[in-house]
Amino acid sequence: MAEVTDGEFTAFVNERGAALLRVAYALAGNQHAAEDLLQNALAKAYARWPRIRGDAEPYVKRILYHDQVSGWRRRSRRSEVPVAELPERAAVGDSGDDTDLRLLLRDALRALPPRQRAVLTLRYLEDLSVEQTAALLGCRAGTVASQSAKALARLRQLVPGLDELPSRTEVTR
Amino acid sequence: MSRALDATLRAVVHDLADGVRPSPDLAAAALRRGRRLRRRGRATAAGAALLAVVAVTLPFVLLRPEPAARPAGPPATPPVTATPSPPIRPTPGPDWVTKPLVLPGDWVVTRAGTRAGSGKGFLLDRGRGRYLQTDRYDGIFPAPTGSLVAVTEKDRPRDVGLVDLVSGKTRWYEVGRALAGLQWSPDGRRLLFTTRQVDHFGFIVLETDGTKQAHVTGWLGCTNFCEFTWLRNGREVGLTLTARRAPESAPRDLAKGVQVFSADDGRPTRFVTMPGAPVGPDAWSPDGKLVVVQGQDAPLLVETATGRVVNPLPSADVAWVSADRLLYRRPNGSRDFVLADPTGRELVRQPLPKQLVDLELTVAPS
Repeated sequence: MAEVTDGEFTAFVNERGAALLRVAYALAGNQHAAEDLLQNALAKAYARWPRIRGDAEPYVKRILYHDQVSGWRRRSRRSEVPVAELPERAAVGDSGDDTDLRLLLRDALRALPPRQRAVLTLRYLEDLSVEQTAALLGCRAGTVASQSAKALARLRQLVPGLDELPSRTEVTR
Repeated sequence: MSRALDATLRAVVHDLADGVRPSPDLAAAALRRGRRLRRRGRATAAGAALLAVVAVTLPFVLLRPEPAARPAGPPATPPVTATPSPPIRPTPGPDWVTKPLVLPGDWVVTRAGTRAGSGKGFLLDRGRGRYLQTDRYDGIFPAPTGSLVAVTEKDRPRDVGLVDLVSGKTRWYEVGRALAGLQWSPDGRRLLFTTRQVDHFGFIVLETDGTKQAHVTGWLGCTNFCEFTWLRNGREVGLTLTARRAPESAPRDLAKGVQVFSADDGRPTRFVTMPGAPVGPDAWSPDGKLVVVQGQDAPLLVETATGRVVNPLPSADVAWVSADRLLYRRPNGSRDFVLADPTGRELVRQPLPKQLVDLELTVAPS
Protein backbone atom coordinates (compact mmCIF):
# COMPACT_ATOMS: atom_id res chain seq x y z
CA MET A 1 0.00 0.00 0.00
CA ALA A 2 2.82 2.37 0.98
CA GLU A 3 4.59 1.56 -2.25
CA VAL A 4 1.47 2.31 -4.26
CA THR A 5 1.04 5.61 -2.44
CA ASP A 6 4.69 6.55 -2.90
CA GLY A 7 4.54 5.64 -6.57
CA GLU A 8 1.37 7.58 -7.23
CA PHE A 9 2.57 10.53 -5.21
CA THR A 10 5.92 10.64 -6.98
CA ALA A 11 4.23 10.38 -10.35
CA PHE A 12 1.92 13.23 -9.40
CA VAL A 13 4.80 15.46 -8.28
CA ASN A 14 6.81 14.62 -11.37
CA GLU A 15 3.86 15.51 -13.56
CA ARG A 16 2.54 18.57 -11.83
CA GLY A 17 5.43 19.77 -9.68
CA ALA A 18 6.70 22.35 -12.15
CA ALA A 19 3.28 23.93 -12.61
CA LEU A 20 2.68 23.97 -8.87
CA LEU A 21 6.09 25.48 -8.23
CA ARG A 22 5.19 28.27 -10.60
CA VAL A 23 2.12 29.06 -8.53
CA ALA A 24 4.14 28.84 -5.33
CA TYR A 25 6.70 31.23 -6.74
CA ALA A 26 4.03 33.77 -7.65
CA LEU A 27 2.74 33.51 -4.11
CA ALA A 28 6.00 33.51 -2.23
CA GLY A 29 8.00 35.82 -4.45
CA ASN A 30 11.34 34.05 -4.23
CA GLN A 31 12.77 30.65 -5.05
CA HIS A 32 13.61 29.44 -1.58
CA ALA A 33 10.28 30.42 -0.05
CA ALA A 34 8.43 28.95 -3.03
CA GLU A 35 10.14 25.58 -2.69
CA ASP A 36 9.50 25.56 1.02
CA LEU A 37 5.87 26.48 0.58
CA LEU A 38 5.34 23.81 -2.06
CA GLN A 39 7.21 21.06 -0.22
CA ASN A 40 5.11 21.73 2.81
CA ALA A 41 1.90 21.54 0.81
CA LEU A 42 3.05 18.37 -0.94
CA ALA A 43 4.00 16.79 2.37
CA LYS A 44 0.49 17.43 3.66
CA ALA A 45 -0.90 15.94 0.48
CA TYR A 46 1.25 12.86 0.92
CA ALA A 47 0.09 12.43 4.51
CA ARG A 48 -3.53 12.41 3.34
CA TRP A 49 -2.95 10.76 -0.02
CA PRO A 50 -5.52 7.95 0.23
CA ARG A 51 -8.24 10.51 0.85
CA ILE A 52 -7.26 13.14 -1.67
CA ARG A 53 -5.66 11.15 -4.46
CA GLY A 54 -8.51 12.00 -6.81
CA ASP A 55 -8.26 15.67 -6.08
CA ALA A 56 -4.59 16.11 -5.41
CA GLU A 57 -3.77 19.17 -7.46
CA PRO A 58 -6.58 21.40 -6.20
CA TYR A 59 -5.83 20.15 -2.70
CA VAL A 60 -2.18 21.17 -2.98
CA LYS A 61 -3.11 24.53 -4.43
CA ARG A 62 -5.54 25.19 -1.65
CA ILE A 63 -2.87 24.33 0.92
CA LEU A 64 -0.45 26.64 -0.88
CA TYR A 65 -2.82 29.55 -0.67
CA HIS A 66 -3.89 28.85 2.88
CA ASP A 67 -0.36 28.35 4.15
CA GLN A 68 0.70 31.54 2.49
CA VAL A 69 -2.20 33.51 3.94
CA SER A 70 -2.00 31.92 7.40
CA GLY A 71 1.73 32.54 7.37
CA TRP A 72 0.86 36.13 6.75
CA ARG A 73 -1.57 36.10 9.67
CA ARG A 74 1.01 34.58 11.98
CA ARG A 75 3.70 36.95 10.91
CA SER A 76 1.36 39.88 11.14
CA ARG A 77 2.66 42.74 9.10
CA ARG A 78 6.14 41.46 8.54
CA SER A 79 5.26 39.26 5.70
CA GLU A 80 5.98 41.36 2.71
CA VAL A 81 8.60 39.72 0.60
CA PRO A 82 11.81 41.62 1.08
CA VAL A 83 12.97 43.19 -2.12
CA ALA A 84 16.42 44.55 -2.63
CA GLU A 85 15.11 48.05 -2.99
CA LEU A 86 11.72 49.57 -2.89
CA PRO A 87 10.29 49.67 -6.37
CA GLU A 88 11.30 52.87 -7.96
CA ARG A 89 8.39 55.10 -8.72
CA ALA A 90 7.74 55.35 -12.39
CA ALA A 91 7.94 58.80 -13.79
CA VAL A 92 4.63 59.86 -15.23
CA GLY A 93 4.86 60.23 -18.95
CA ASP A 94 8.18 58.46 -18.98
CA SER A 95 9.36 56.88 -22.18
CA GLY A 96 6.17 54.90 -22.13
CA ASP A 97 8.16 51.74 -22.35
CA ASP A 98 5.86 48.92 -21.38
CA THR A 99 8.79 46.77 -20.33
CA ASP A 100 9.89 49.26 -17.70
CA LEU A 101 6.40 49.46 -16.36
CA ARG A 102 6.14 45.71 -16.15
CA LEU A 103 9.45 45.42 -14.33
CA LEU A 104 8.37 48.01 -11.81
CA LEU A 105 5.04 46.35 -11.43
CA ARG A 106 6.64 42.97 -10.88
CA ASP A 107 8.74 44.37 -8.06
CA ALA A 108 5.69 46.06 -6.64
CA LEU A 109 3.75 42.79 -6.73
CA ARG A 110 6.46 41.15 -4.68
CA ALA A 111 6.12 43.88 -2.11
CA LEU A 112 2.40 43.24 -1.59
CA PRO A 113 1.20 41.43 1.54
CA PRO A 114 0.73 37.73 0.77
CA ARG A 115 -3.04 37.83 1.05
CA GLN A 116 -3.28 40.52 -1.58
CA ARG A 117 -0.74 38.76 -3.75
CA ALA A 118 -2.67 35.51 -3.33
CA VAL A 119 -5.83 37.16 -4.58
CA LEU A 120 -4.07 38.60 -7.61
CA THR A 121 -2.37 35.29 -8.31
CA LEU A 122 -5.66 33.44 -8.25
CA ARG A 123 -7.34 36.03 -10.42
CA TYR A 124 -4.60 36.49 -12.99
CA LEU A 125 -2.40 33.42 -12.96
CA GLU A 126 -5.13 30.88 -12.38
CA ASP A 127 -7.81 32.85 -14.19
CA LEU A 128 -10.35 32.36 -11.43
CA SER A 129 -13.43 34.52 -11.03
CA VAL A 130 -14.07 36.51 -7.87
CA GLU A 131 -16.46 33.83 -6.69
CA GLN A 132 -14.04 31.01 -7.43
CA THR A 133 -11.27 32.89 -5.66
CA ALA A 134 -13.49 33.39 -2.64
CA ALA A 135 -14.38 29.71 -2.60
CA LEU A 136 -10.73 28.68 -2.73
CA LEU A 137 -9.68 31.05 0.01
CA GLY A 138 -12.73 30.25 2.10
CA CYS A 139 -13.89 33.84 2.34
CA ARG A 140 -16.65 35.98 0.91
CA ALA A 141 -16.59 37.39 -2.60
CA GLY A 142 -16.69 40.84 -1.02
CA THR A 143 -13.46 40.10 0.81
CA VAL A 144 -11.80 39.13 -2.44
CA ALA A 145 -13.03 42.33 -4.05
CA SER A 146 -11.76 44.46 -1.17
CA GLN A 147 -8.38 42.70 -1.15
CA SER A 148 -8.12 43.25 -4.90
CA ALA A 149 -8.96 46.91 -4.46
CA LYS A 150 -6.38 47.30 -1.71
CA ALA A 151 -3.79 45.53 -3.83
CA LEU A 152 -4.48 47.82 -6.77
CA ALA A 153 -4.36 50.88 -4.56
CA ARG A 154 -1.00 49.76 -3.20
CA LEU A 155 0.30 49.04 -6.68
CA ARG A 156 -0.81 52.50 -7.79
CA GLN A 157 1.11 53.99 -4.88
CA LEU A 158 4.22 52.07 -5.82
CA VAL A 159 3.88 52.47 -9.57
CA PRO A 160 2.08 55.69 -10.42
CA GLY A 161 2.67 54.98 -14.10
CA LEU A 162 -0.18 52.49 -13.85
CA ASP A 163 -2.63 55.31 -14.11
CA GLU A 164 -1.21 56.19 -17.49
CA LEU A 165 -2.60 53.00 -18.97
CA PRO A 166 -5.60 53.72 -21.17
CA SER A 167 -8.88 53.09 -19.45
CA ARG A 168 -11.44 51.77 -21.91
CA THR A 169 -14.17 49.93 -20.24
CA GLU A 170 -15.23 48.42 -16.98
CA VAL A 171 -14.70 44.73 -16.44
CA THR A 172 -17.37 43.32 -14.23
CA ARG A 173 -16.66 39.62 -14.31
CA MET B 1 -10.47 48.23 -13.74
CA SER B 2 -9.43 49.21 -17.23
CA ARG B 3 -8.85 46.50 -19.74
CA ALA B 4 -5.29 47.67 -20.30
CA LEU B 5 -4.49 47.50 -16.60
CA ASP B 6 -6.15 44.12 -16.42
CA ALA B 7 -4.02 42.82 -19.28
CA THR B 8 -0.84 44.33 -17.87
CA LEU B 9 -1.43 42.84 -14.43
CA ARG B 10 -2.11 39.46 -15.96
CA ALA B 11 1.11 39.65 -17.96
CA VAL B 12 3.12 40.73 -14.94
CA VAL B 13 1.77 37.99 -12.68
CA HIS B 14 2.71 35.49 -15.37
CA ASP B 15 6.14 37.14 -15.67
CA LEU B 16 6.58 36.76 -11.95
CA ALA B 17 5.66 33.10 -12.01
CA ASP B 18 7.93 32.52 -14.98
CA GLY B 19 10.87 33.61 -12.85
CA VAL B 20 10.92 30.31 -11.00
CA ARG B 21 13.76 27.86 -11.51
CA PRO B 22 13.13 24.10 -11.74
CA SER B 23 13.51 22.14 -8.55
CA PRO B 24 14.83 18.76 -9.63
CA ASP B 25 14.43 16.83 -6.40
CA LEU B 26 11.03 18.16 -5.50
CA ALA B 27 9.37 14.74 -5.33
CA ALA B 28 12.04 13.20 -3.13
CA ALA B 29 12.14 16.15 -0.76
CA ALA B 30 8.34 16.27 -0.50
CA LEU B 31 8.24 12.53 0.08
CA ARG B 32 10.73 12.81 2.96
CA ARG B 33 8.83 15.65 4.53
CA GLY B 34 5.51 13.89 3.98
CA ARG B 35 6.73 10.72 5.69
CA ARG B 36 7.86 12.74 8.70
CA LEU B 37 4.50 14.45 8.80
CA ARG B 38 2.67 11.16 8.58
CA ARG B 39 4.72 9.64 11.44
CA ARG B 40 4.09 12.69 13.56
CA GLY B 41 0.39 12.56 12.71
CA ARG B 42 0.16 8.95 13.82
CA ALA B 43 1.93 9.74 17.07
CA THR B 44 -0.44 12.49 18.01
CA ALA B 45 -3.38 10.83 16.31
CA ALA B 46 -6.68 11.50 17.97
CA GLY B 47 -6.54 15.15 18.75
CA ALA B 48 -4.69 16.20 15.69
CA ALA B 49 -6.40 18.88 13.75
CA LEU B 50 -6.36 17.89 10.16
CA LEU B 51 -5.84 20.62 7.73
CA ALA B 52 -8.65 19.33 5.64
CA VAL B 53 -8.68 20.92 2.35
CA VAL B 54 -9.60 19.79 -1.04
CA ALA B 55 -10.44 21.28 -4.29
CA VAL B 56 -12.80 24.00 -4.76
CA THR B 57 -13.58 25.06 -8.17
CA LEU B 58 -14.99 22.52 -10.49
CA PRO B 59 -13.75 22.93 -13.98
CA PHE B 60 -16.66 23.34 -16.29
CA VAL B 61 -16.69 20.89 -19.07
CA LEU B 62 -19.37 21.09 -21.66
CA LEU B 63 -20.48 17.63 -22.42
CA ARG B 64 -23.41 16.01 -24.09
CA PRO B 65 -25.20 12.78 -23.30
CA GLU B 66 -25.04 9.85 -25.60
CA PRO B 67 -28.18 10.07 -27.74
CA ALA B 68 -29.36 6.50 -27.36
CA ALA B 69 -28.71 5.52 -23.80
CA ARG B 70 -29.19 2.01 -22.56
CA PRO B 71 -30.95 1.51 -19.23
CA ALA B 72 -28.57 1.39 -16.32
CA GLY B 73 -28.55 -0.69 -13.21
CA PRO B 74 -26.88 0.54 -10.05
CA PRO B 75 -23.25 -0.46 -9.79
CA ALA B 76 -22.60 -3.43 -7.62
CA THR B 77 -19.35 -2.84 -5.82
CA PRO B 78 -18.80 0.17 -3.63
CA PRO B 79 -15.06 0.48 -3.07
CA VAL B 80 -12.91 2.39 -5.49
CA THR B 81 -10.24 0.14 -6.83
CA ALA B 82 -7.41 1.38 -8.95
CA THR B 83 -6.50 -1.10 -11.60
CA PRO B 84 -2.73 -1.27 -11.61
CA SER B 85 -2.31 -1.31 -15.35
CA PRO B 86 -5.35 -1.00 -17.59
CA PRO B 87 -4.72 -1.10 -21.32
CA ILE B 88 -3.10 2.13 -22.45
CA ARG B 89 -3.73 3.40 -25.92
CA PRO B 90 -0.87 4.95 -27.86
CA THR B 91 -0.18 8.65 -27.41
CA PRO B 92 -1.40 10.57 -30.46
CA GLY B 93 1.38 11.70 -32.74
CA PRO B 94 2.30 15.27 -33.63
CA ASP B 95 -0.33 15.32 -36.39
CA TRP B 96 -3.19 14.91 -33.92
CA VAL B 97 -4.65 18.29 -34.94
CA THR B 98 -5.47 16.96 -38.40
CA LYS B 99 -8.33 14.78 -37.19
CA PRO B 100 -10.74 14.59 -34.24
CA LEU B 101 -9.04 13.28 -31.13
CA VAL B 102 -11.17 10.28 -30.19
CA LEU B 103 -11.29 9.23 -26.55
CA PRO B 104 -12.40 5.91 -25.07
CA GLY B 105 -16.17 5.64 -25.34
CA ASP B 106 -16.01 7.34 -28.75
CA TRP B 107 -16.14 10.84 -27.44
CA VAL B 108 -13.93 13.54 -28.89
CA VAL B 109 -12.06 16.53 -27.58
CA THR B 110 -13.88 19.59 -28.91
CA ARG B 111 -11.99 22.34 -27.13
CA ALA B 112 -8.70 22.77 -25.31
CA GLY B 113 -7.98 26.02 -23.54
CA THR B 114 -6.87 27.53 -20.31
CA ARG B 115 -9.17 27.57 -17.31
CA ALA B 116 -12.49 29.38 -17.60
CA GLY B 117 -12.61 28.95 -21.34
CA SER B 118 -9.92 31.50 -22.02
CA GLY B 119 -9.23 32.04 -25.70
CA LYS B 120 -5.85 30.47 -26.47
CA GLY B 121 -5.93 26.84 -27.43
CA PHE B 122 -7.55 24.47 -29.89
CA LEU B 123 -11.06 24.11 -31.20
CA LEU B 124 -12.50 21.20 -33.16
CA ASP B 125 -14.00 22.20 -36.48
CA ARG B 126 -16.35 19.26 -36.92
CA GLY B 127 -17.22 20.16 -40.49
CA ARG B 128 -13.62 20.00 -41.63
CA GLY B 129 -12.60 17.28 -39.20
CA ARG B 130 -9.58 19.12 -37.79
CA TYR B 131 -8.56 21.47 -35.02
CA LEU B 132 -8.24 25.21 -35.30
CA GLN B 133 -5.83 27.14 -33.16
CA THR B 134 -7.56 29.90 -31.26
CA ASP B 135 -6.18 33.09 -29.84
CA ARG B 136 -9.20 35.38 -29.91
CA TYR B 137 -11.92 35.87 -27.35
CA ASP B 138 -11.73 35.42 -23.61
CA GLY B 139 -14.02 32.42 -23.57
CA ILE B 140 -14.72 29.79 -26.22
CA PHE B 141 -17.44 27.20 -25.69
CA PRO B 142 -18.30 24.84 -28.55
CA ALA B 143 -21.81 23.40 -28.62
CA PRO B 144 -21.81 19.67 -27.92
CA THR B 145 -23.20 19.09 -31.40
CA GLY B 146 -23.31 21.06 -34.63
CA SER B 147 -21.18 23.97 -35.74
CA LEU B 148 -22.00 26.71 -33.23
CA VAL B 149 -19.45 28.03 -30.78
CA ALA B 150 -20.33 30.47 -27.99
CA VAL B 151 -17.69 33.14 -27.39
CA THR B 152 -17.30 35.79 -24.71
CA GLU B 153 -15.15 38.84 -24.32
CA LYS B 154 -14.29 40.60 -21.09
CA ASP B 155 -15.11 44.00 -22.47
CA ARG B 156 -18.59 42.77 -23.42
CA PRO B 157 -19.55 41.20 -20.10
CA ARG B 158 -23.28 41.22 -20.81
CA ASP B 159 -23.06 39.64 -24.26
CA VAL B 160 -22.41 36.31 -25.87
CA GLY B 161 -21.40 35.72 -29.46
CA LEU B 162 -22.42 32.69 -31.49
CA VAL B 163 -19.90 31.76 -34.15
CA ASP B 164 -21.05 29.43 -36.88
CA LEU B 165 -17.97 27.53 -38.01
CA VAL B 166 -19.64 26.60 -41.29
CA SER B 167 -20.56 30.10 -42.41
CA GLY B 168 -17.88 31.91 -40.43
CA LYS B 169 -20.47 34.42 -39.23
CA THR B 170 -20.75 35.65 -35.65
CA ARG B 171 -23.91 37.03 -34.09
CA TRP B 172 -23.78 38.81 -30.75
CA TYR B 173 -26.65 38.84 -28.28
CA GLU B 174 -27.12 40.77 -25.10
CA VAL B 175 -27.88 38.26 -22.36
CA GLY B 176 -27.94 40.14 -19.07
CA ARG B 177 -25.89 41.45 -16.20
CA ALA B 178 -23.51 39.78 -13.73
CA LEU B 179 -23.32 36.62 -15.82
CA ALA B 180 -21.57 33.41 -14.86
CA GLY B 181 -21.56 29.75 -15.69
CA LEU B 182 -22.21 29.57 -19.42
CA GLN B 183 -23.32 26.04 -20.25
CA TRP B 184 -24.76 24.51 -23.41
CA SER B 185 -27.85 22.35 -23.21
CA PRO B 186 -27.20 18.70 -24.08
CA ASP B 187 -28.86 19.13 -27.49
CA GLY B 188 -26.78 22.22 -28.30
CA ARG B 189 -29.85 24.39 -28.86
CA ARG B 190 -29.87 26.52 -25.74
CA LEU B 191 -27.38 28.29 -23.52
CA LEU B 192 -27.75 28.55 -19.77
CA PHE B 193 -26.34 31.44 -17.76
CA THR B 194 -26.43 32.18 -14.08
CA THR B 195 -27.11 35.82 -13.32
CA ARG B 196 -25.78 37.01 -10.00
CA GLN B 197 -27.41 40.38 -9.83
CA VAL B 198 -28.12 41.46 -6.29
CA ASP B 199 -31.79 40.77 -5.59
CA HIS B 200 -32.17 39.25 -9.05
CA PHE B 201 -30.21 36.02 -8.72
CA GLY B 202 -31.46 33.44 -11.16
CA PHE B 203 -30.86 31.95 -14.56
CA ILE B 204 -31.22 32.96 -18.17
CA VAL B 205 -31.87 30.59 -21.06
CA LEU B 206 -30.83 31.85 -24.48
CA GLU B 207 -32.00 30.14 -27.66
CA THR B 208 -29.58 30.10 -30.55
CA ASP B 209 -31.86 32.47 -32.45
CA GLY B 210 -31.32 35.07 -29.72
CA THR B 211 -34.60 34.78 -27.86
CA LYS B 212 -34.10 34.55 -24.14
CA GLN B 213 -35.97 34.04 -20.92
CA ALA B 214 -34.76 35.23 -17.54
CA HIS B 215 -35.99 33.62 -14.32
CA VAL B 216 -35.37 35.10 -10.90
CA THR B 217 -35.13 32.37 -8.28
CA GLY B 218 -33.29 34.01 -5.41
CA TRP B 219 -30.19 32.46 -3.84
CA LEU B 220 -32.21 29.81 -1.98
CA GLY B 221 -29.29 28.99 0.27
CA CYS B 222 -26.63 28.15 -2.26
CA THR B 223 -23.09 28.92 -1.12
CA ASN B 224 -20.23 27.06 -2.77
CA PHE B 225 -22.01 25.96 -5.90
CA CYS B 226 -24.06 28.93 -6.96
CA GLU B 227 -24.23 28.22 -10.66
CA PHE B 228 -27.14 26.62 -12.43
CA THR B 229 -26.41 23.54 -14.51
CA TRP B 230 -28.43 21.59 -17.02
CA LEU B 231 -29.86 18.26 -16.10
CA ARG B 232 -29.32 15.48 -18.58
CA ASN B 233 -32.88 15.72 -19.92
CA GLY B 234 -32.14 19.21 -21.26
CA ARG B 235 -35.53 20.43 -20.05
CA GLU B 236 -34.56 21.24 -16.49
CA VAL B 237 -31.80 23.09 -14.71
CA GLY B 238 -30.55 22.62 -11.16
CA LEU B 239 -28.98 24.65 -8.38
CA THR B 240 -27.10 22.95 -5.55
CA LEU B 241 -28.19 24.14 -2.11
CA THR B 242 -26.18 24.03 1.08
CA ALA B 243 -27.04 22.05 4.19
CA ARG B 244 -24.25 23.30 6.41
CA ARG B 245 -21.47 25.85 5.98
CA ALA B 246 -18.01 24.38 6.36
CA PRO B 247 -15.57 25.74 8.89
CA GLU B 248 -12.82 27.83 7.37
CA SER B 249 -10.40 24.92 7.29
CA ALA B 250 -12.79 22.58 5.48
CA PRO B 251 -12.75 22.18 1.74
CA ARG B 252 -16.30 23.19 0.97
CA ASP B 253 -19.78 23.34 2.36
CA LEU B 254 -21.95 20.28 2.82
CA ALA B 255 -24.62 20.22 0.14
CA LYS B 256 -28.15 19.05 0.82
CA GLY B 257 -29.28 18.58 -2.75
CA VAL B 258 -30.27 20.07 -6.06
CA GLN B 259 -33.31 22.27 -6.50
CA VAL B 260 -34.59 21.59 -9.99
CA PHE B 261 -36.39 24.15 -12.17
CA SER B 262 -38.16 23.98 -15.48
CA ALA B 263 -35.90 25.58 -18.09
CA ASP B 264 -38.97 26.78 -19.99
CA ASP B 265 -40.85 28.68 -17.32
CA GLY B 266 -38.46 28.79 -14.36
CA ARG B 267 -40.85 27.02 -11.99
CA PRO B 268 -39.32 24.81 -9.30
CA THR B 269 -40.21 21.24 -10.19
CA ARG B 270 -38.56 19.02 -7.59
CA PHE B 271 -35.77 18.68 -5.08
CA VAL B 272 -33.21 15.89 -5.41
CA THR B 273 -31.35 15.07 -2.21
CA MET B 274 -27.61 14.52 -2.60
CA PRO B 275 -24.53 15.44 -0.58
CA GLY B 276 -22.75 17.29 -3.36
CA ALA B 277 -22.98 19.20 -6.62
CA PRO B 278 -23.20 17.75 -10.13
CA VAL B 279 -20.85 19.53 -12.53
CA GLY B 280 -23.09 19.38 -15.57
CA PRO B 281 -25.67 17.37 -17.48
CA ASP B 282 -23.44 14.39 -18.07
CA ALA B 283 -22.80 13.88 -14.39
CA TRP B 284 -26.29 12.30 -14.42
CA SER B 285 -26.50 8.69 -15.58
CA PRO B 286 -28.51 8.14 -18.77
CA ASP B 287 -31.48 6.74 -16.83
CA GLY B 288 -31.25 9.41 -14.16
CA LYS B 289 -30.90 6.92 -11.33
CA LEU B 290 -27.36 7.87 -10.45
CA VAL B 291 -25.39 11.07 -10.38
CA VAL B 292 -21.74 11.93 -9.77
CA VAL B 293 -21.27 14.89 -7.48
CA GLN B 294 -18.47 16.82 -5.88
CA GLY B 295 -19.06 16.05 -2.22
CA GLN B 296 -17.71 17.95 0.72
CA ASP B 297 -14.48 15.94 0.79
CA ALA B 298 -14.45 13.85 -2.36
CA PRO B 299 -16.26 13.06 -5.58
CA LEU B 300 -19.15 10.70 -4.94
CA LEU B 301 -21.51 8.44 -6.87
CA VAL B 302 -25.00 8.98 -5.49
CA GLU B 303 -28.35 7.27 -5.95
CA THR B 304 -30.81 10.01 -6.94
CA ALA B 305 -33.93 8.35 -5.51
CA THR B 306 -32.54 8.17 -1.99
CA GLY B 307 -29.49 10.41 -1.84
CA ARG B 308 -27.47 7.39 -0.73
CA VAL B 309 -23.75 7.45 -1.50
CA VAL B 310 -22.95 4.38 -3.55
CA ASN B 311 -19.18 4.82 -3.64
CA PRO B 312 -16.50 7.50 -3.92
CA LEU B 313 -14.94 8.20 -7.29
CA PRO B 314 -11.65 9.71 -8.39
CA SER B 315 -13.24 12.66 -10.21
CA ALA B 316 -16.49 14.61 -10.15
CA ASP B 317 -15.98 15.99 -13.62
CA VAL B 318 -17.23 12.92 -15.44
CA ALA B 319 -19.37 12.05 -18.42
CA TRP B 320 -21.53 8.98 -18.50
CA VAL B 321 -20.77 7.80 -22.00
CA SER B 322 -23.07 4.80 -21.62
CA ALA B 323 -25.16 3.10 -18.97
CA ASP B 324 -22.16 1.77 -17.09
CA ARG B 325 -19.14 3.63 -18.36
CA LEU B 326 -17.68 6.91 -17.16
CA LEU B 327 -15.17 9.05 -18.99
CA TYR B 328 -13.00 11.44 -17.04
CA ARG B 329 -9.60 12.95 -16.93
CA ARG B 330 -7.33 10.88 -14.81
CA PRO B 331 -6.56 12.47 -11.45
CA ASN B 332 -3.00 12.99 -10.22
CA GLY B 333 -2.10 14.85 -13.32
CA SER B 334 -3.88 15.66 -16.49
CA ARG B 335 -2.02 13.50 -18.96
CA ASP B 336 -4.60 10.78 -19.48
CA PHE B 337 -8.30 10.35 -20.03
CA VAL B 338 -9.71 7.16 -18.63
CA LEU B 339 -12.77 5.06 -19.25
CA ALA B 340 -13.92 3.48 -16.00
CA ASP B 341 -16.83 1.61 -14.56
CA PRO B 342 -19.04 3.24 -11.92
CA THR B 343 -16.84 1.92 -9.12
CA GLY B 344 -13.88 3.83 -10.51
CA ARG B 345 -12.14 0.76 -11.88
CA GLU B 346 -10.09 1.91 -14.84
CA LEU B 347 -10.72 0.00 -18.06
CA VAL B 348 -8.66 1.86 -20.62
CA ARG B 349 -6.47 4.91 -20.66
CA GLN B 350 -5.87 7.38 -23.45
CA PRO B 351 -2.78 9.55 -23.08
CA LEU B 352 -3.12 13.06 -24.43
CA PRO B 353 -0.84 14.87 -26.84
CA LYS B 354 1.76 16.94 -25.03
CA GLN B 355 0.15 20.24 -26.11
CA LEU B 356 -3.05 19.37 -24.28
CA VAL B 357 -1.63 18.23 -20.98
CA ASP B 358 -1.83 21.58 -19.23
CA LEU B 359 -5.06 22.70 -20.84
CA GLU B 360 -8.64 22.28 -19.76
CA LEU B 361 -10.56 20.11 -22.18
CA THR B 362 -14.13 20.00 -23.36
CA VAL B 363 -15.40 16.71 -24.73
CA ALA B 364 -18.53 15.57 -26.51
CA PRO B 365 -19.82 12.53 -28.36
CA SER B 366 -18.16 12.06 -31.72
